[in-house]
Amino acid sequence: MDDIDAMFSDLLGEMDLLTQSLGVETLPPEPPPSTASKEMNFSTGFDFNASIHELEDNDLDALMADLVADINATEEKLIAESKEQRAGPSASSSTSSLSSASSASSFSGSTAPTPTSNSFAFPSPTSAPAFTPTPTSGPAPALAPAAGGPKASTSPPPPSQTAKPSMEEIEAQMKADKIKLALEKLKEAKVKKLVVKVEMSNGSAKTLMVDERQTVRDVLDNLFEKTHCDCNVDWCLYETNPDLQIERGFEDHENMVEPLSAWTRDSENRVLFKEWKNKYGVFKNPQYFYLWKKDKSTLKDMKEKEKELLLEENFCGSSIIVPDLEGVLHLKEDGKRSWKPRYFLLRASGMYFVPKGKTKTSRDLVCLVQFDNVNVYHAKDYKNKYKAPTDFCFILKHPQIQKESQYIKYLCCDDQKTMTLWVTGIRIAKYGMTLYDNYKTAVKKTSASMSWTDKIGSNASTPSPTPKAKAANGHAAKPAQDAAPKAPSNQATLPPPPPSVTEMLPPPPPDPSLPPPPTTTMFSQGHLPPPPPPSSMAAGFSKGPLPPPPPPSCMGAGFSPPPPPLDDLPPPPPPDDDEMPPDFLPPPPPAVGFPAGGLPPPPPDPVMLPPPPPSAFPAPSGGPVPPPPPPPPPPAAAAGPKPPVRKVGPPPPKRTTPVAAAPSGGGDFMNELMVAMQKKRNL
Amino acid sequence: MAAWDLSVAVEELGPEAPPLKVSVTSDLHIGGVILKIVEKTQIKKDWSDHALWWEQKKQWVLRAAWTLDKCGIHADARLNFMPQHKPLRLGLPNGATIRLKASFSAPVFRCVMGICRILNLRHPEELSLLRPMEEKKKKKDKNPEEVYELTDASPNPASMLTLSNGMPAHFAKSAEHEAVYKMLSISQPAPAPETIAKTYRPANVVEKAEVNGRWLDSSRSLLQQEINENDKLLIRFKYFSFHDIEPKHDAVRLTQLYEQARWAILLEEIDCTEEEMMLFAALQYHIGKVSLAEPQITSSPAMDDLDSALQCLELKLDEESSSGADMLETMMPAPELHDYLKIFRPKRLTLKGYKQYWFTFKDTSISYYKSKEESFREPIQQMNLKGCEVTPDVSIAGQKFCIKLLIPEPDGMNEVYLRCENEQQYSKWMAACRLASKGKTLADTSYTSEVESIESFLAMQRTNPGTASAQTDESINTHSLVSLRYQKKYKPKQLTPRILESYQNVAQLSLTEAIQKFLQIWQALPDFGVSYFVVRFKGCRKDEVLGVANNRLIRIDLSVGDVVKTWRYNTMRQWNVNWDIRQVAIEFNGNVNIAFSCVTADCKIVHEYIGGYIFMSTRSKEPTDTLNEELFHKLTGGHEAL
Repeated sequence: MDDIDAMFSDLLGEMDLLTQSLGVETLPPEPPPSTASKEMNFSTGFDFNASIHELEDNDLDALMADLVADINATEEKLIAESKEQRAGPSASSSTSSLSSASSASSFSGSTAPTPTSNSFAFPSPTSAPAFTPTPTSGPAPALAPAAGGPKASTSPPPPSQTAKPSMEEIEAQMKADKIKLALEKLKEAKVKKLVVKVEMSNGSAKTLMVDERQTVRDVLDNLFEKTHCDCNVDWCLYETNPDLQIERGFEDHENMVEPLSAWTRDSENRVLFKEWKNKYGVFKNPQYFYLWKKDKSTLKDMKEKEKELLLEENFCGSSIIVPDLEGVLHLKEDGKRSWKPRYFLLRASGMYFVPKGKTKTSRDLVCLVQFDNVNVYHAKDYKNKYKAPTDFCFILKHPQIQKESQYIKYLCCDDQKTMTLWVTGIRIAKYGMTLYDNYKTAVKKTSASMSWTDKIGSNASTPSPTPKAKAANGHAAKPAQDAAPKAPSNQATLPPPPPSVTEMLPPPPPDPSLPPPPTTTMFSQGHLPPPPPPSSMAAGFSKGPLPPPPPPSCMGAGFSPPPPPLDDLPPPPPPDDDEMPPDFLPPPPPAVGFPAGGLPPPPPDPVMLPPPPPSAFPAPSGGPVPPPPPPPPPPAAAAGPKPPVRKVGPPPPKRTTPVAAAPSGGGDFMNELMVAMQKKRNL
Repeated sequence: MAAWDLSVAVEELGPEAPPLKVSVTSDLHIGGVILKIVEKTQIKKDWSDHALWWEQKKQWVLRAAWTLDKCGIHADARLNFMPQHKPLRLGLPNGATIRLKASFSAPVFRCVMGICRILNLRHPEELSLLRPMEEKKKKKDKNPEEVYELTDASPNPASMLTLSNGMPAHFAKSAEHEAVYKMLSISQPAPAPETIAKTYRPANVVEKAEVNGRWLDSSRSLLQQEINENDKLLIRFKYFSFHDIEPKHDAVRLTQLYEQARWAILLEEIDCTEEEMMLFAALQYHIGKVSLAEPQITSSPAMDDLDSALQCLELKLDEESSSGADMLETMMPAPELHDYLKIFRPKRLTLKGYKQYWFTFKDTSISYYKSKEESFREPIQQMNLKGCEVTPDVSIAGQKFCIKLLIPEPDGMNEVYLRCENEQQYSKWMAACRLASKGKTLADTSYTSEVESIESFLAMQRTNPGTASAQTDESINTHSLVSLRYQKKYKPKQLTPRILESYQNVAQLSLTEAIQKFLQIWQALPDFGVSYFVVRFKGCRKDEVLGVANNRLIRIDLSVGDVVKTWRYNTMRQWNVNWDIRQVAIEFNGNVNIAFSCVTADCKIVHEYIGGYIFMSTRSKEPTDTLNEELFHKLTGGHEAL
């Protein structure tokens, strides 16, 4: 029985290592022979087998040696160790299930040197003794479901000596858990991961690992952390295809790996990280899309509340309304170089044109394409490539198609404006409400990270903060970040501001006692059907320009131990977020926390001060502090002196723990398992 | 004060009975008059619903505290003493007729509120009553229409909330009532194609406009508008701005809304493209099928509790049992399909026919081998169907069961035809292809139901279209799912594959989802929610069309049908009605003034439409039960109102 136990703990460690090394080790093989041409490297059919083979030379040997070396672990030690080690796997599995920033954590987990996190943890003022067990706070959640909720969670992981009697009961549970964990690990190993090279607008590139469960939003968040950009809503990941001379911004909700998997082996496609001003143009200025027939001057002076009304009408009903685009576009004829003008109409169900000699009544329309299976791409320089009438072209194609094909629909517009209208219109028709949700999430993310970067920025200016201060700050930053993911769930359900028309409306009815005048004026006061002027909007505004009074600046930041008010820090962003014009982002929540705590430095005026520009880059490297200014949240949290917060602690260093726990015979079992798996694969 | 005789006809005494003479004085209040009448009749019954109707003036005398003098009633007045609530035949959006008691004395707005309470329909402000079409001489239309009786249902506020057996308590009294509720809350089976062909449908925008001339005035009572006991009226959703739809509480509302939308599409009241029509047809088919399968869609709180309890239990069980065995199972090799099929790949300049190979379907890929014996070797080809387009190419008569696959590849789409031997084989492989195209494998739970739905859909083709009994699930005629135009354009067997094509995208929806999807597509149609009126603009010589929608007014050229101008309500400063010359005048921001008189409808109807939509936009997002009736009348009432 103990043998089995041992074998499992062994297996666990092994799996851990494997999954980890999958991530890390795929990086080295990247250097491709044709260096410049290959912008990106990825491994699609990443099955377990292959990865093991890949590992064999270097890692696996070392790994085995480690395993064998630890054969003589004693009973007690095993128990104690297995507990600790369980912390590892459980924590790591929890991070990976956390889809957001999961790749970030896998990175930080593997790269962050163990000592650093330790050194953060121990200096914590009072709780040193009580603290030591906390690294194992990981198991608590893992235990909870198995050992029957309250009991397990209330009693902290018992120190190994005292717990000995109770151990027996738990052991059975633990074994079941371990089996579960092992299997989860196996599944994890099956998760497809890509190493993606993302090009920045400044020409540099960042390499990230993206697992197949991640959305574009997750990857963007990850990049925000890494690049110190201003995190505005326009940032997007852009796919380019030089063969077809096309490009497309990924939508935030899309799965990141999927479109990349469609690339061919020798693809020269690239992924760019850049700002795309029309990504959410329709939500910033809906009038350009929904009232495009009106003249420009009226559209330009559109009032905010009118824009909101438009959004509400078109996106907040039970079905979203697609802009009623219509007009002449040029369609490239199949297989020819000629372009034919046709009168096109956009409908929610697809793109239609009016056949020759027919009118544009619905029943006569011919469907060019429905949007279920195609994406819309901007095309570049088609005047040259395909003799298009103008260079304002877009195409519709199945994402898998990578080369010229008769299945691609090529369309050409007269001008930039028309193209933007159509491309956006098609996106609305295709994605519908999702697009709006993406936007709302993006706005929230932006405002959250805004406050975060503000803090970081001002923090960097403080002269050499002590490590402790660093930790405090990192801790402070964490809640702000935390608030971001939380916010959407809170606010998604928040209905848009009720049009508070009621107050404005009650019109003086004709006095009933009077004889009816020939002409009854129903309403004569001002604007009649007042566009819902959401009262909450006004609130949002007044809140915006009035940032919380800057507290007497940061003298305390360095030395005062994190004050209690910090607990209040992560207030969710104000519900008014929705209404805020995107280019105007007041620092959100801290309003409450700051004055009380007096800790964080004053947030810079949001309007005046652009968020930390790329110039912030050198700061980390040149800075006196070893950890980079935006401390990756996990280690920072680890350093946090508050035990309660530590639940979100970082994955403890995995590399060491499992190895320590390895008992005898583990290698065999592992091999057997591998063989079994290989068999399964080959079936 | 001198007493005089007031003559009052009492309905209970019969139409022939002479009017009662009641001796009254002018300062007697109405309540007193009623008391005298009741005493004089010597009939013992509950008179509380009775009130006085003043025939000559066409008005109710409802204020019990007013004196005869104040009401202006003198000796020459002839009053009728009658119940305020009388039976009314009501044509529902689903085509059924129901008989229930409605208030003949309250303004139609409140009358509709009462009706909706009986029908268990939330947000009555969105509905209203309209006169039915003049029925052309009843030619041999002998069979009287079926009428659902609901006259003795009297909901009180409490019974609305207390649900028994998944329906409001006032429906649970008898089996008949339950049947009525079923009719209300479950969509009707598809109509026979002939019914669609026979039913009146507006041929052009003028005829569409005429429909809107039949709405009743919301601020006056039924009797005032010459609607009598047992007359037939239609109840319809009038304002296309559906607030706060919640499937849990809106079973009847959703169903009736769906029925109204379905008929609007079948009768071409709203135009759509062919692709959209096919999707509508597929959804109708699906909804019809699912509502047969799960007849009890409504849920009561108690059931909900039970449901959630069961779910909890399931979850717990899952948690407990999802140890090794389960997890291992999920990692076991997925189920596969193996069979001999024929394949055909059209290539340029090759006219090769179908060739037989051994096929394997695994995960989302199809592989084929020369023969079964070779299947352990490398396949001749492997095709991953993820993201591909799957189209049926089926003819039961010709015993042709082909699956057309358009498989995306980097350099275009790869066109492949698979030919199956029979229906069963086809259904299995087709279902697998469809799931694979969505990235699902055979292991997916929906696989079996997918196979079944393909089989049942194929069964549609087997029945010959001549038999008109298109009522049961198995023998639905695809012609009953589309409008007349497409009935004429396509034969049923041409229609079936087209509908089947759309069907694959909706086959997995639940009943509520399908209905909501139907409504969504309906609402996304460009012409959705526009009510037309033929009007004449001030200073113009020809008739034009005014479209009234929930956020804008549209001026439409009558002959061409083009939109001339659009005005949004939020730029509107005021609107007036000159009741003498019956002209509506509207002022918009920027000194834009328009005025028009209405040709196909009373200007009160147009006025009420505009005011009604503005009223709809004032409803708060928070669910409240109270309806600001006063505001509605302020916005929609004419000078007679209030």
